[in-house]
Amino acid sequence: MPEIPAARAKDLEHIFYPKSVAVLGTNRVVGTVPYDIFANILRDNFQGIVYPVSPKERSVAGVRAYKYVLDIPDPVDLAILVFPSTVCNLALEQCGQKGVKAAIIISAGFREIGGAGIQREEEIKAIAKKHNISFIGPNCLGVINTDPLSHLNASFARKMPAEGNIAFLSQSGALCTAVLDYAQAKHIGFSKFVSFGNKANINELDLMRYLKNDPKTKVILVYLEEITDGAGLMNVAHEIITETGKPILVLKSGRTREGAAAAASHTGSLAGSDEVCDAALKQAGVIRCTTVEEMFNTAIALAYQPLPRGNRVAIITNAGGPGVLATDAAVAQKLSLATFSPETLEVYKKSLPATANIKNPVDVIGDARADRYKVALGSALKDVNVDGVLVILTPQSMTDIENIAREVCNTIGQFDKPAYASFMGEKDVAAGISILQQRSIPHYVLPESMCRAFAGALFFKNYREMKPEDLQVFSSVQKEKAGSVLQGALNAGRKYLPEEESVKILEAYGLPTLLSGLAKSGADAAAIGERIGFPVVMKVVSDDIVHKFDVKGVVLDIRSRTQAEEAYDSIISDIGKVMPDAKIKGIYVQRMVTKGEEVILGVKRDPSFGAVIMFGLGGLFVEVFRDVSFRVAPVGPRSASEMIREIKAYDMLAGARGKKPRDIRSVEECIQRLSKLALDFPEIKELDINPLIVNDEGGGCYVADARIML
Amino acid sequence: MDKAEIKKRVEKVIAQVLKIDPKEITPNANFAFDLGADSMQSIELIAAFEEEFNIQMDEQKAREVQTVEGAVDFIAGYLK
Repeated sequence: MPEIPAARAKDLEHIFYPKSVAVLGTNRVVGTVPYDIFANILRDNFQGIVYPVSPKERSVAGVRAYKYVLDIPDPVDLAILVFPSTVCNLALEQCGQKGVKAAIIISAGFREIGGAGIQREEEIKAIAKKHNISFIGPNCLGVINTDPLSHLNASFARKMPAEGNIAFLSQSGALCTAVLDYAQAKHIGFSKFVSFGNKANINELDLMRYLKNDPKTKVILVYLEEITDGAGLMNVAHEIITETGKPILVLKSGRTREGAAAAASHTGSLAGSDEVCDAALKQAGVIRCTTVEEMFNTAIALAYQPLPRGNRVAIITNAGGPGVLATDAAVAQKLSLATFSPETLEVYKKSLPATANIKNPVDVIGDARADRYKVALGSALKDVNVDGVLVILTPQSMTDIENIAREVCNTIGQFDKPAYASFMGEKDVAAGISILQQRSIPHYVLPESMCRAFAGALFFKNYREMKPEDLQVFSSVQKEKAGSVLQGALNAGRKYLPEEESVKILEAYGLPTLLSGLAKSGADAAAIGERIGFPVVMKVVSDDIVHKFDVKGVVLDIRSRTQAEEAYDSIISDIGKVMPDAKIKGIYVQRMVTKGEEVILGVKRDPSFGAVIMFGLGGLFVEVFRDVSFRVAPVGPRSASEMIREIKAYDMLAGARGKKPRDIRSVEECIQRLSKLALDFPEIKELDINPLIVNDEGGGCYVADARIML
Repeated sequence: MDKAEIKKRVEKVIAQVLKIDPKEITPNANFAFDLGADSMQSIELIAAFEEEFNIQMDEQKAREVQTVEGAVDFIAGYLK
């Protein structure tokens, strides 16, 4: 991924650390956006100089105002535009003349309203380009930098958040205000807080690249309503994660399948934009969250605590029920309950009451006070068999909540191992929770959220440690051969490649295909059958017929010359009845494979992420359960293996209930070859191999049917 | 009514509604950018022009007028 260009980095520096700011279009009306933005900068102790620019006011909030930005005698680093959208062009033009290099355009009334708004946005983009101005917005809440060196609240948020190490980037301004309120109540601070609105100039990728090098930011959160450059997002995220170890959490709204409805192939209909987005983000190491709460639950774990070394957790609780709930939740998140070392068990035996359960989950009993939590937590954190500790408290009459909270904080602080807490309840535990939150101990209302956050942190740790995947080189690939078949179809203006041509392309890329031939007569079919060996399957070949089964265009299990001749005649005659105008090129005679597991492989061209490879088990599993996996190409050997293993029906291939395992390695190779094909030929819009028949281990697999859409 | 008269009365209305010194009002002045009219004042201006000239303007089109000179021309169109 290219680094952020120096000029853009400098402009972003002007946005976050300006020495002087001008607010263009401010006024004296308290409670309006133009006034509040100026007042927030002033009130929140901005470390630079701020100038109000107001056409008719002599002063704003007691500060001398200028009619135009051009009237300000000193240089201006950052302009904040709060004018009506109709005159932002005039304001930005003057900024250009003044030599301002960065701007935040708060005003709404641009692309988001359509019509004239689109034109206005294009105009400000052109002005910015002419004067080399980088800008955030339009249609945004603004920018906050809590770094004491700047302490800039260039937003109309009600309050400036506390300083912290979490950066939040949001496409929605309204969500920003809600998030600020939510975070304040939970004592969560921020390093940078950006509402980027219509992202007409600076987008989320620019901001993420900037945050990569921001020493104040440890965790990056992004709220997106649309992903315009999926491939770019994957690259930036991967680079930030692997190079700087900063986790990225994305909350992406719009989890619908509408886009998939019109797709022509299986892969198309299964690979809805959200499923692809899910897979792509995971592939890039991004933690995708489904709610704001989940996002912050995971973010505080990553921002406040060290990463877990593994999945072995100790649960410490003062009540049995919540301990069981936590155990269930941990197992559901693929965590395991740690087995304590003999030393730990010895300490527990000596220090905890005889009635306490000293095996994991450790129940320190309802009358536990701070001393018991201290010994249970400290010993667990010390134990080499424990990767992290989950502390649970329920408020019982003898529970000294606040003291326990303090002891938990003190003990956790002594170890370089993650520990999270769940003080269950609300009113009685509030003071204890507040102590935990103020001391930056991740707190969760429920043990389930706590386990999910731990799993999120573990996913990130594992991703960071994963070695880069080397792509396999396939020397036998005949790119030109495949290209000439595709070109032939493109020259003829065809959008659909029938099986016969699709198979040729797959063959050129080394995918195992079955012996076959194209018959032009019954005698032809019989001869081909004899040559390739019976049994065979016969299928009609016609550009006019996509779903061959529906028009009786397929006959299976043909075992002799006579049957082949009869099948030829029956296919021609049946199609003649239902589709008399269909132009039939011939009948495709193919060796029939009767044993093996049917799987489906596919390619879909996603507008944002590019070529996406799909894998699933055939039949009901794909049709009804949508049990499929995706990866954005290129797919290497490890990813191919993961794709196969992550479907729910994997056991069917691995050899469930005494069955022999199938040849999974051959499928892995097919996935990688397909990935190469998809990358080599962007003109392939969708591709289905349905089914790919997988034999027992060592027996390989075969493409039994395929089609390609251009 | 001739253009000079319209201009004089337009400037008077602008000064009253926006509470500004008439000297600041130039033909090319933009209501929002130069004279500081906010969205509410833009609507007030339209109403005040209608009252001053006893005309009924197309509000949508009137709101597209951005300068003093533009307002004079726009109102003149109604007085023909």
